[in-house]
Amino acid sequence: MKCQKIKRLLPLLAGSELPESQISSVRAHLEGCLQCQREYEKYTFLVGQTRKWLAEDKVGWEEQEWRETVQSVVNQGSRKRTSLVPWPFPRAWAYTLMAGVMLLLTILIVRPSFVKQIGLTPRYVNVVGADKQEVVSMTMVSKETGLKIVWFFNKNFNLEENE
Amino acid sequence: MWMKDEDKLVEEVLQGKHSSFELLLQPYRQGFLKLAYRITGDREEAQEICQDALLKIFKYLKSFKKDRSFKTWSYKVLMNTSYDYLREKKKFKRVIESQRNAPVYEVSQVEQRVWKSQMKEKIQSMLDILSPKEKAVFLLRDSEGLSVRDVSLVLGCSQISVRTHLSRARQKIIAYFEKNHLQKIREGKS
Repeated sequence: MKCQKIKRLLPLLAGSELPESQISSVRAHLEGCLQCQREYEKYTFLVGQTRKWLAEDKVGWEEQEWRETVQSVVNQGSRKRTSLVPWPFPRAWAYTLMAGVMLLLTILIVRPSFVKQIGLTPRYVNVVGADKQEVVSMTMVSKETGLKIVWFFNKNFNLEENE
Repeated sequence: MWMKDEDKLVEEVLQGKHSSFELLLQPYRQGFLKLAYRITGDREEAQEICQDALLKIFKYLKSFKKDRSFKTWSYKVLMNTSYDYLREKKKFKRVIESQRNAPVYEVSQVEQRVWKSQMKEKIQSMLDILSPKEKAVFLLRDSEGLSVRDVSLVLGCSQISVRTHLSRARQKIIAYFEKNHLQKIREGKS
């Protein structure tokens, strides 16, 4: 192996992370290469030193602090959530129902013609001869006075002039 | 032996014996705080992260698969919580920038006493030159003593990737120290 490749493996050899299969070839190279040997020594020293520093590092929980934290975690974690709407069935059912309603609404918005396809067309459209009807009338009757108002519309739903 | 105890404690917590939760996390408590502290660089933030991570562990313990190691699973939760926290506070940008502009101390600036008294700065400046992934791999391996396989499980990457990042991290650290004060450490002034 070339020195360049070995130099990438030396930090791992120094920290004992190199796979077994590569150790012997790296060691064989080290025996014949003084420069890489020096490099390896540096890494061995560095790994030992950094591990020592990190182990000496006194960042830790105070006993009381730790107990309080765990207690607060347990209290928060075991608190049961109260639902706004009482739902006696499994929660998955509610999600399925919501998904169904959302899907139906999306279909109605995106493809209104789908309503016709599935036979949900309003009944008055299916009245026989409705499409041939020329005039439509609408009658309003007052409950108090009994007054009747009759409006006539043509097939375009324009108010017919009463001549 | 410990694994068996761990399984038992997990089972007890799931059955509602909350006092077992503290025992379950006892072996990792210092490691968790140290790791979170090394990632954020602030003790209070580290404690907050640990609390969040513990809450997640408690809540999602039922989804923990028993054929996996609790240690790697809990460290994974901690690492994810730490990075979520940093992202939320938009600190990532600042951390990356600080890594790009890593402080380079002149030898003359580094007094002998610095090595004895300012452990905190020494380690933090060493970590500041690493990318987030390199830092995570380096800390999990050299500070927490996790195996390469466990580190790969915690970070969700391959073992090759872990080795590559670890190698790069050490190369950066040695370059940093060579530039500054490796000789002083070698002379036994640490």
